[in-house]
Amino acid sequence: MRLPVLLAALVAVATCTEIFAGHQVLRVLPQSDEELQKVQELQDLEHLQLDFWLDPRGLGLPVDIRVPFPSLQAVKAHLEAAGVSYSIMIEDVQALLDEEQREMLRSSRQLPLNTDTFNYEAYHTIDEIYSFMDMLVAENPNLVSKLEIGRSTENRPLYVLKFSTGGTNRPAIWIDTGIHSREWVTQASGVWFAKKIVQDHANNEGVASILETMDILLEIVTNPDGFAFTQTSNRLWRKTRSKNAGSICVGVDPNRNWDAGFGEAGASANPCTETYHGPYANSEPEVKSIVDFVKGHGNIKAFVSIHSYSQLLLYPYGYTYTPVPDQQELHEVSAKAVAALSSLYGTKYKYGSIITTI
Amino acid sequence: RAMELPPSHFPAARAAAAALGYLRYLRGGPGRGLLPRELRRARRQDIDGVGHKYCLELELEDVLDKGRTVSCTAEVLYHLGSTSCAPDVQVTVQGELRSTEEADEEFYNQIRSLEQELVAENIPDSHGNVPPELEPILLLAWVASGYVIWQNSTENTKFHLAQVKHVKQVKRSDEDLQFDYVLLLHEMVSQEVLPWQVTLLWHPQHGARVSQ
Repeated sequence: MRLPVLLAALVAVATCTEIFAGHQVLRVLPQSDEELQKVQELQDLEHLQLDFWLDPRGLGLPVDIRVPFPSLQAVKAHLEAAGVSYSIMIEDVQALLDEEQREMLRSSRQLPLNTDTFNYEAYHTIDEIYSFMDMLVAENPNLVSKLEIGRSTENRPLYVLKFSTGGTNRPAIWIDTGIHSREWVTQASGVWFAKKIVQDHANNEGVASILETMDILLEIVTNPDGFAFTQTSNRLWRKTRSKNAGSICVGVDPNRNWDAGFGEAGASANPCTETYHGPYANSEPEVKSIVDFVKGHGNIKAFVSIHSYSQLLLYPYGYTYTPVPDQQELHEVSAKAVAALSSLYGTKYKYGSIITTI
Repeated sequence: RAMELPPSHFPAARAAAAALGYLRYLRGGPGRGLLPRELRRARRQDIDGVGHKYCLELELEDVLDKGRTVSCTAEVLYHLGSTSCAPDVQVTVQGELRSTEEADEEFYNQIRSLEQELVAENIPDSHGNVPPELEPILLLAWVASGYVIWQNSTENTKFHLAQVKHVKQVKRSDEDLQFDYVLLLHEMVSQEVLPWQVTLLWHPQHGARVSQ
């Protein structure tokens, strides 16, 4: 590629201009002197603005030509009329440049030096999130610690961040995100929550007052196997990745695997469905780990699970119309929470019990 | 026998989704996409021997005219015992929707002058991004999915368009534009994501229709 073009390409990439949209790179293999001559003729047609990546050198040697979009028809017609065969090496040069730029951004993102340079506005891989967690702990050793509460079906660690200003087994609030792996905005929110909690504490605002007497427990990647699968294979995967005996279908809906109304309304007994409850309650290690942790802790006062999409704030039950004992209070708290949320940017949430609202 | 329904409860929400599908099919285009803003009021009437009729008061917003909202009323009649029959929907929009004449003509001419038939996939992509030049294609997908959602809605379903998996323009000898879509529809109750093939014909003056 000639130097001026290379420079132009770099400038284009740097300034994000699309000067190669629709350009193709053609490869021609001249097999005869006539064919070679036909290709050389192209070099003289300056108005076509052809850019020879590999000049014609001799018979049987490839000639690579970057052809701007407006010249494509003319060049192909010229070659075809002379019976010169060619192949399309690059279908769209701009697409390739775009991909390359994305790669560059990705690799520059792989090593954020600290949680202040971490990009909260982009989706991240499991590794990036786990490394974020370690950075957050390292930066705030007196506030944040990381607990491993178990392992997933595919043996990925299940990590919970504990935010605590001290005490012993203080009452705690549990938050989990990403239990349904395709709900990507929730894992991303979990990462942001973690940073926000630390910031609030540093600035003595927001949840700082809660941390004076309570701990916060945050599981960001609650379904790591599913999350990995959404990144490698199927963006819309929701369940865990456990094998189901007697079925080719994989996965259990972790949010139907709890021992509360197990197998009742809203869950499916069919392993091939998105709401399959699993062979028995807590069959999924991702779920059992949480259950064991919560029971072992013994002092968890609030349990919040984050999902997307819908903008709903929901309280129990999901499997019966029987109201919870504290229904009135939960409804009032929900109303206040929704009003507070709306006060920031006008975001509208509806609220109610699961069974009446979904 | 008409009863007032809480707008935050699912029966009204499901009927609203069906109504929105119908409305998008009727009034949507490459320059107009209607979004639900709020369900203000809902009533249900059980009509003996016929079915359940939902009367809704909705507030909508045009994706390309976000500053204001448009009110509309909708009636959704789910036929008794029939899950294979589309609900009857009627919608009345109060006031004017922003005109899309210019944008429609521009889009029409743009597509007609393409040398190679347009092909695209995964709109939005895994990160939720939509390239600006594909916005009109996505809005037309809303039209196509609106039809499918309207036709397939029951009191036990709530459909949303999750993604345009694939779209291919097919050049025609007549004046219509044709787009063959593979749409992914997300059904909220079962949580299933269902692929659906739809062929959409569109013309700036004639509007849209799904060809069977």
